[in-house]
Amino acid sequence: MTAPISSFMPGVLTASAAARVGFAHRCARFSLRARGDLAPLEAALGLSLPDRIGQRTSAGEREVLCLGPDEWVLHAPESDATAITAACAGVYADHPHSLVDISGREVSFVIDGPRGAELLTLGCARDLDTIAVGEGRRTLFDGATVILWRDADNNFRLDCWTSFATHLFHLLDTGVRELGAENH
Amino acid sequence: MLLIHCPYCNETLPEVEFAYASEAHIARPTRPSETTDEDWAEFLFMRSNVKGPLYERWRHVHGCGRFFNAVRDTVTDKFLTTYKAGEPRPDLSSLTEGLK
Amino acid sequence: MSQYRVSGRGRVDTARPVTFTFDGKSYRGAQGDTVASALLANGVHLMGRSFKYHRPRGAIAAGSEEPNALIGTRRGSGRFEPNTRATVQEIWDGLETNSQNKFPSLKFDVGAVNDAAYMLFSAGFYYKTFMWPRSFWDKVYEPFIRAAAGLGVSPIEEDPDTYASRNLHCDVLIVGAGPTGLAAARAAAVEGLRVVLVDENPEAGGTLLSEPQARIDGKAAWDWLAAELEALKALGVKIMTRTTAIAYYHQNMIGLVEKLTDHLPKLPADTPRERLWRVRSKQVVLAQGALEKPLVFHGNDRPGVMLAGSAQTFLNRYGVLVGKRPVILTSHDSAWYAAFDLQDAGAKVQAIVDTRADVDALLQSEARARGIAVKLSHTATATSGRLRVSSLRINPVAGGTVGAAQDIRCDAVLMSGGWTPSLHLFSHTKGSLTWDDDRTTFLPEKTPEDCVIAGASRGLWGIGAALADGAEKGRAVAEALGKTGAQVAYAIEADRPGTGVSHKELPTDLSAGKAKAFVDFQNDVTAKDLRLAVREGMRSIEHVKRYTTNGMATDQGKMSNINGLNIASDALGKKQPQVGLTTFRPPYTPTSFGAFAGYHRGEHFEVTRKTNIDSWAEAKGAVFEPVGQWRRARYFPKPGEDMDTAVRRECAATRASVGIFDASTLGKIEVVGPDAVEFMNRMYTNPWTKLAPGRCRYGLLLGDDGYIRDDGVIGRMTEDRFHVTTTTGGAARVLNMMEDYLQTEWSDLNVWLTSTTEHWSTVALNGPNAAKLLAPFVEGVELTEEAFPHMSCVECTVAGMPARLFRVSFTGEIGFEVNVPAHLGQKLWDILWEAGQQYGITAYGTETMHVLRAEKGYIIVGQDTDGTVTPYDAGMGWAVGKKKPDFVGMRGLARPDLQAKNRKQLVGLLTEDGSKLEEGAQIVFDPKQAIPMTMVGHVTSSYDVGTTDQPIALALVEGGHGKMGETVYIPMPDRTIAAKITATVFVDPENTRLKI
Repeated sequence: MTAPISSFMPGVLTASAAARVGFAHRCARFSLRARGDLAPLEAALGLSLPDRIGQRTSAGEREVLCLGPDEWVLHAPESDATAITAACAGVYADHPHSLVDISGREVSFVIDGPRGAELLTLGCARDLDTIAVGEGRRTLFDGATVILWRDADNNFRLDCWTSFATHLFHLLDTGVRELGAENH
Repeated sequence: MLLIHCPYCNETLPEVEFAYASEAHIARPTRPSETTDEDWAEFLFMRSNVKGPLYERWRHVHGCGRFFNAVRDTVTDKFLTTYKAGEPRPDLSSLTEGLK
Repeated sequence: MSQYRVSGRGRVDTARPVTFTFDGKSYRGAQGDTVASALLANGVHLMGRSFKYHRPRGAIAAGSEEPNALIGTRRGSGRFEPNTRATVQEIWDGLETNSQNKFPSLKFDVGAVNDAAYMLFSAGFYYKTFMWPRSFWDKVYEPFIRAAAGLGVSPIEEDPDTYASRNLHCDVLIVGAGPTGLAAARAAAVEGLRVVLVDENPEAGGTLLSEPQARIDGKAAWDWLAAELEALKALGVKIMTRTTAIAYYHQNMIGLVEKLTDHLPKLPADTPRERLWRVRSKQVVLAQGALEKPLVFHGNDRPGVMLAGSAQTFLNRYGVLVGKRPVILTSHDSAWYAAFDLQDAGAKVQAIVDTRADVDALLQSEARARGIAVKLSHTATATSGRLRVSSLRINPVAGGTVGAAQDIRCDAVLMSGGWTPSLHLFSHTKGSLTWDDDRTTFLPEKTPEDCVIAGASRGLWGIGAALADGAEKGRAVAEALGKTGAQVAYAIEADRPGTGVSHKELPTDLSAGKAKAFVDFQNDVTAKDLRLAVREGMRSIEHVKRYTTNGMATDQGKMSNINGLNIASDALGKKQPQVGLTTFRPPYTPTSFGAFAGYHRGEHFEVTRKTNIDSWAEAKGAVFEPVGQWRRARYFPKPGEDMDTAVRRECAATRASVGIFDASTLGKIEVVGPDAVEFMNRMYTNPWTKLAPGRCRYGLLLGDDGYIRDDGVIGRMTEDRFHVTTTTGGAARVLNMMEDYLQTEWSDLNVWLTSTTEHWSTVALNGPNAAKLLAPFVEGVELTEEAFPHMSCVECTVAGMPARLFRVSFTGEIGFEVNVPAHLGQKLWDILWEAGQQYGITAYGTETMHVLRAEKGYIIVGQDTDGTVTPYDAGMGWAVGKKKPDFVGMRGLARPDLQAKNRKQLVGLLTEDGSKLEEGAQIVFDPKQAIPMTMVGHVTSSYDVGTTDQPIALALVEGGHGKMGETVYIPMPDRTIAAKITATVFVDPENTRLKI
């Protein structure tokens, strides 16, 4: 039986000489949707909202990735959640948008190691070379929608909906061992 | 598995990220209650089912989430072009000229 | 050293002997041998029995195109694979192999009686033989066909191996690592492109491995090869061996299967047996080379008769002489070189028999210099020998007349009918072919893909031509990718280009009707079968193929296509291009199911979504059921309980006190924006404008055709924010449909949709004690009838957790749904479970949920509706807003067919005899009518485990709403059940139980 999601604790879950998969600390996550003049929202949030899909910006510990023409995902420390909600609520009346808390919806795996990028090719059909370091994309990994944040050549974060986590971890764990065996 | 160009992401990506969404440029009548039974049936059920270039819709469902339009040849399965929703339908003759 | 091993030849390591078994007998080979080369080194040619006639057969080829030498391989328990080609399987210490298609033994096979009954098995024999009498089908024909059909025996144990898959993106994929592919790889790699070079063999080199005499750029072929492979690796080329390109799909997607462990004596840990690579390459170079054709003559299938080029490969790659007294039979120059190589290695070549009158004088003088007899303008008309060829019967041909026969004693016949370019992958691209009369073969013409084909696979012979063409094509694809591309030239010595002619079956002086001249060895198709098929009216090559089975199964025309075409076109009196080729289908070589399944087996077979409370349910011994991709607890049996008992207990406890239910899988969509209410008005049948924040309403979603698509309770959290719930299975579909209308039809609306299904864990409490249990934990609202009436919602705190609380009921009891952020779901559940003990709280699953809702007549979309049910059919006209200008489905509901009188309508059914109906059972009005009866509806839901005192059912019945109290009939196999039509609500029709 695959491990229940509740058994994942922050830290390294599986590792070999080739790659490593860890579980990220929980954070506040928001889906932000808006059109038109973004300046008031940017001012409220204290960061600029990138306008090209895949681009990221950050300010302090707030980090945002553009997922669609009017869609961003925002990560921040859990303690920052109330402030973010309040800041956006403050500009809603004049600048309507949608800010939805999705902190409970998703968890993140952290992938690194010398062949971290190759590990993702087990389940991801798109060419990972087209995701530049410092960018991110929503894509499909082994049948589940995921968001990949590329933090370095072989260092990724993979966000998935919680209910898919055990399924995806099963493949990541298999892959870590498979790639590790190739290194021998 | 096909490769499909998403006009919003401006990237050519594997088909698995996309979902087919039927024929394009079939507008829902703005006042449905004023349409005749015949017109409503035409809107609901009738599709061109062409052999050759077809205007159709796709959704980049596992990517940016946008619905967009495409022209795909139903014989060769080749995409001739994709374009954003709301843009006018491209002229077929200009698309088919450059084909091998 | 084995009897037929030649010292100093081949690339096998005779210093490392390897022991394996074949049909129980132990053999020794060398490291690097295949089963076939090792058996041949031991003088064993007999490796199998043929499919139809059970004729003794040996290896005819040295590679993956081998049609005869199919063996079963075994590695301990569970690891058995049939139909492995002995020419491909590498040996290792302990490998067990077996021949196939024989009983009781390979040397004496009773099935060979089929060979004597040859007439019975001619072309189309299935169609002709098993026609009558009809009564013979079950007892005689079918068992016979089943016993005879198929090659080898299917494994029956579960495969203990694992299989893998990976995606790979590159600039240039090159299929075939012979001289063509190597040169192409260099030309592309020097330009800095991402190059992948694959070859199905254990080592790269292709023809170079079989032609060590060649010299490239001043180096011996094998030295050049070793240096070149190192150089390519240094340039970053990914070289993959034991990797077969099995298929070419749209837009340069190529499937590769890499075999990782079949050649290893010990299985390494964490290593899959095979890996399927899905490669997407910007450019593809096909350099698969060419396959040698057999000659078609009587007895050409006897063990010891093999392709000359393969004999050359066995000698030069494996150091094995396939015979000591071989005779060469050819229509192509290439076999002359095979003769020379074997003679030089110590064989005594009996003769070179060539069908042609004119052969290069240089070749003839080389033969004479070696003392080899040469017979030009000769045909071969028979072979003899029982389990191994012992002589070849040849005749001179002059002016179309076949002269007197002469027997040549021999222990092998090495034949060559010329070469066929390997066009399989090219054909997968829908590439067009053009007939080349000179070479009597099809050559590649145009492909719609970004693909070039190079070297022998486009009809160029010789290593020099291959290197030159490979370099040129490599340069061309680099240019296509925007690189400049440099010209590279190679200097070749001792190359062996050659020419030849192609034949239909060879002329003979014997009765053509008795000849067994094989075209397709694997399917036992002879030249006579093909001619018979044409005589019997088959005109299309596709029909000839199916009637005779020529080129079917794993052969896919590798051996047989051109010979078959030459014969069929001769029989039809047409030129070959007018007859055409049958389609080469993927995979190129047989591929295991494991490779296709990859990681998706066992627990990982498909995505299984689990809620945060799933592990609690598992620990409690819940029985699960799949709902969409989710697994949900269906019921929680106590020791000794079956499903009915457990569900009866869960139902009763919920109606009596309180039940707790994990409703987290319910789809949830947050609708936010100034136009949220307008969007809701347009999407759902119900009116939303007057719904106050803090209130919720049951919503019905239709398609524009007017039929029910989904339903769920929707709460208005604030003026601009709705919390929409959908069915579990409908969540993604409903969101997609909403996005479709929003993006495509109503882009004027300022509103956004976000899936929050998984943001919330949803814990449902139902029963008379639900409010009492929950109230102490809730801060922010009083759980009273006044402060928080039925169909209310609020953001509050439950047990200190931020929550969205809904007062709703899907059971007819007082009900609450507590939504907390998903990671807190289990915590909330534990708190309520603990506190609920005083009320005897009972966890229930989806089965009890289904029963309780059916007792109240609440529909389940997809069970009580089937995509043709309107709100009115379901008795839910009250949910349809009458004053709205439009909503999705409104116009559809006005269609004449949806307004018709006698539509099927949802009703309750109570059986007269108290028995439970079967879901799906058909309903009739008149049980005495003649069969086929007029069916007027069906049972959609049926239960006898709930809290009512008799079984209940819901059904769709024609005009049912107007037939209350009438009797309908449900015919079953053993009896007909009468049932009374009732309302759909069986429990508490006044809803008094909903009050706190």
